[in-house]
Amino acid sequence: MSQRFDVIVVGAGPAGLTAAQRLASRGFKVLVVERGRRPGSKNVYGGRIYAHVLDKLYPEYVKEAPVERWVRKERLTMLTKDSGVTLEFETKATEHKSFTAYLSNFTEWLDRKAEAAGALVVTETPVDNLITKDGKVIGVKSGSDEVYGDVVIVAEGINRLVLESSGLAPKLQPSLVGLGVKEVIKLGRNEINERFNLDEDEGLAWALAGYPTHYVPGGAFIYTNKDAITLGIVVYLEHGGKLDVPVYDLIEEFRLHPFVSRLLKGGQLLEYSAHLTPIVGLKAMPPRLYGNGYLVVGDAAGFLLHLGVLIRGVDFAMESGRLAAEAIIKAHDQGKYDEEALSIYHQLLNESFILREFNAFKNAHKALNNPRLYSDYVMLANAFMSRYFDVDGTPRRIWDTFMKTKGKLTLVDLTRDALSLVMNL
Amino acid sequence: MSMDNRRIPIEERLNSNAWDVSQRPHIRIIDPDKCRKCEAKPCTHLCPARCYTLSSDGTVLFSHEGCLECGTCRIVCPHNAIEWTYPRSGYGVQYRFG
Repeated sequence: MSQRFDVIVVGAGPAGLTAAQRLASRGFKVLVVERGRRPGSKNVYGGRIYAHVLDKLYPEYVKEAPVERWVRKERLTMLTKDSGVTLEFETKATEHKSFTAYLSNFTEWLDRKAEAAGALVVTETPVDNLITKDGKVIGVKSGSDEVYGDVVIVAEGINRLVLESSGLAPKLQPSLVGLGVKEVIKLGRNEINERFNLDEDEGLAWALAGYPTHYVPGGAFIYTNKDAITLGIVVYLEHGGKLDVPVYDLIEEFRLHPFVSRLLKGGQLLEYSAHLTPIVGLKAMPPRLYGNGYLVVGDAAGFLLHLGVLIRGVDFAMESGRLAAEAIIKAHDQGKYDEEALSIYHQLLNESFILREFNAFKNAHKALNNPRLYSDYVMLANAFMSRYFDVDGTPRRIWDTFMKTKGKLTLVDLTRDALSLVMNL
Repeated sequence: MSMDNRRIPIEERLNSNAWDVSQRPHIRIIDPDKCRKCEAKPCTHLCPARCYTLSSDGTVLFSHEGCLECGTCRIVCPHNAIEWTYPRSGYGVQYRFG
């Protein structure tokens, strides 16, 4: 690989491939370097993609993309060992808002788009570091191979090994990420429709908190695909030391919870996967999102919005890839890719939903990192319901029931935590 | 065997995945002595593939073979005693339903 390219993209994920497709379709000579055997073979996420960016980027996605089911049912459950309090929203509106999919398949689809536009995608090649000369990034290095380009887009994902080894990001800290562990379980299409009360192409997105992580900050998810269920847990790693069982047992206990296992009866495990996920919004950003000869996009830039129930990674990744491409096109028009020319990237991010939303939710993690949310409040909700519905001939006034079931929570805690959630989410 | 009412051992779960495991480990314990002295040993609890296990004499043993490539061990190790990179040449886990 001694060729020169206009643009080198590190990582064939949603962010890198979107950037590659945009640039290649504008005539740039683009190389994408991917460590996996094929694009998508190292990607893992929860299970759902918000479609608004696709409406703009690939409007044909409705027919083409490897959609599993369109999410029309949202469910949130506070779960204990033997009870649960659930809030559910269901709609018959058929506009396409979000869908479940396998990220491996979806990434492969994005790869076909990028290659069709003319990008060259080289797989089985983990990039070790960036090559810099006179303070400017001029290429990438993999083993003894070097390849040069005018500008490098770092789309390497949450484990920023390239940025770290190139001195452009500090070592990733446990407080910035959650560990997601996932099982994909094959189940008949009819069983899924019946057990989850869904029509043919309808999907459920289900977030759960409490018991799935043994009341440690984090949560669990269940998504319905066409003929499989994905279920998983996310543990905020900062709190990982508080788990009373190893994380590989934790996910099994969740799967075997009576409310979950009855839905999966007769199922068959297809895959067991794990991945880190950014959870702190802007605070997971590397010190710089652009510099002389490089830009950072996707998870590597921390671009994943984690709001507890709402988790958005792919739309942020793709939009950042699109904006990086736009920044490069503008810098190209100026004839240079130095820090100043590429600073347009930051401006574009500022004007886009990416930084608008991150700024709106800049304290979301502070609110969500409150251990009481995953323990005391789950217990309270369940104890309250349990007592309220346990009619025994004594009056069940709401206030009395609440005071009897609130445990060690004080009214001050409640007021403060409720305000924190309402103000920051 | 049905999985309805039983815990699937981690080895069996890992066996459901597609693999192309390299002979060459991509994980290295830099200083085993640090691990022996480490009190918390978070890697043994937080690695979702149970790649890190404790031997009877207190040594931390590791295997790169079931590695799911999440990178947790690298960042939870309190002594920076684990060198973790990605496998070369596309080796390692081959996710089909990621």
